[in-house]
Amino acid sequence: MVLEATMICIDNSEWMRNGDYAPSRFQAQADAVNLICGAKTQSNPENTVGVMTMAGKGVRVLVTPTSDLGKILACMHGLEVGAEANLSAAIQVAQLALKHRQNKRQQQRIIAFIGSPVKYDKKVLETIGKKLKKNNVSLDIVDFGETDDEKPEKLEALVAAVNSSDSSHIVHVPPGENALSDVLISTPIFTGEEGGSGFAASAAAAAATGAAGFEFDVDPNVDPELALALRLSMEEERARQEAIAKKAAEESSGAENKDHASSSNTDSVMAEAEPASNATADDKKDQPKDDDDAHLLQQALAMSMEEGSSGAAAVADAAMAEAAVDDQDLALALQMSVQDASMSSQSDMSKVFEDRSFVTSILNSLPGVDPNDPSVKDLLASLHGQGEQEKKEDQDKPEDEKK
Amino acid sequence: MACLHDHSCEDHNCAADWSLFNHIDIPKVVALNESVAGSVKSVFKPWEQRLDTSGGFLESNEGDPELLIFIPFTSDVKIKSISVVGGADGTSPSRTRAFINREGIDFSDAQNMQPVQEWELGENLQGVLEYQTRYSRFQGVANLTLHFSENFGGDITKIYYIGLRGEATQNKRDVVATIVYEVMPNPSDHKTKSETGGGFSHVE
Repeated sequence: MVLEATMICIDNSEWMRNGDYAPSRFQAQADAVNLICGAKTQSNPENTVGVMTMAGKGVRVLVTPTSDLGKILACMHGLEVGAEANLSAAIQVAQLALKHRQNKRQQQRIIAFIGSPVKYDKKVLETIGKKLKKNNVSLDIVDFGETDDEKPEKLEALVAAVNSSDSSHIVHVPPGENALSDVLISTPIFTGEEGGSGFAASAAAAAATGAAGFEFDVDPNVDPELALALRLSMEEERARQEAIAKKAAEESSGAENKDHASSSNTDSVMAEAEPASNATADDKKDQPKDDDDAHLLQQALAMSMEEGSSGAAAVADAAMAEAAVDDQDLALALQMSVQDASMSSQSDMSKVFEDRSFVTSILNSLPGVDPNDPSVKDLLASLHGQGEQEKKEDQDKPEDEKK
Repeated sequence: MACLHDHSCEDHNCAADWSLFNHIDIPKVVALNESVAGSVKSVFKPWEQRLDTSGGFLESNEGDPELLIFIPFTSDVKIKSISVVGGADGTSPSRTRAFINREGIDFSDAQNMQPVQEWELGENLQGVLEYQTRYSRFQGVANLTLHFSENFGGDITKIYYIGLRGEATQNKRDVVATIVYEVMPNPSDHKTKSETGGGFSHVE
């Protein structure tokens, strides 16, 4: 929560047209700038951020330090790329902009994105650094883009000259798969001295949605309810996988004992689709607690390596698992369609309908159906031993009678 | 301890004269070009401890003898004189320029601005020298900025103690924080009780 005024120096020289950072160096830089502005203003509402260019039409200040994120995002739009970056002039201008900040209590900080080659000597850079240190300005450098032999050392020397009590940092970002912003999120440039802010942690979690394991680790710190919901849907999906895998095994082996096991699984899976029933949700929680993370990982690997219809169904299940949580009817319909697709026996469906409490709650959600109605009760009784289609017809009948 | 006064010190406590130390807002004291961040706070201590360096001292960065110290006070003060104890071997400051009631001065400002007063200092290792101020200019001081621009030839400048003598008034210099200017008066902002309908008119 340090009160800070920050000037961000953007490198919009010709070297930024290169595409080794997706989609282009300049675009990656713009994303990183937006993220940094957000993080700074969120960590302390009185922080101000300003933006200036080092190349292009020349060293000029696009936005003087302000806490208005909209202005900053707008000025990044329509920036042109060209010419060479003038680092020393840019740092001087940044210093001047910070000197004339409105709130003199703010600490002064410059963040420089240096993607083009550095043509200055180490000595010159060190004098620049000393001048910054004398005026109590911290400097963060993001070294990306062009790499020549001496650039990292020169920039390290610059940061070492400015650094007092660890307030200045340098980050080297090599080109690669990870976006520039993703790499920066975990660095002290983003997190600041206190070693982490809420914004940084949640942004990191959002950025890593691909890796399921990471989500579970970070979420409980930030948002326990979200963590719980994610874990439940993960378990549901996993249980669904097991159910489908077991059904596939059943049909090949044809053993009846497994029917009960799978149906009880589907019962519990479908029961979990009811957000209201906490009891069943508790049961669900107890089951996965037995598994440890290694098992989860194996499941995930197995899922990703599966091919064929069960794999396709797994993907479909994953998508549907999250969508189905809200709507019981939708869950029922999806479950039915999934089971049709994976060629499961219809006896499973009827076994599901044997679960009276579940059926009653489903019927409760259907408009116009009163479970205490004798016709509905007859219907329920007639469910056993009847096929799926018949049941549907019977259900339609009482609804028609109601109308 | 050697006093400059020609009376014997048993009668009164010299430390009481240097009591402005109590009115310095120490947490908000800031120095520029100090080698250890925050070490400037150790320079303000009671008169008796002026030669005691166990709490640390203020040192400038390597190769750069300039120092800029911003001293805010908890209430407005009148400053009579200043005493500075420096380091040995040419690390004592030789020239001081003072500015009052200006926040956020940095080195380029300090070098260009006309100071309220400046002094040539001597090497004051025992803390016996004090420098009088032009008292009329140092009335109602809310904050004081001292710029030590030169020293006696050392690579760095060391300061062990800064003492201020004077009086404290109980006034606090108020800063107008935010001013909203009206281009056009907005009547709804200026409703009196009678207009809003409800208040009894106050008759004394």
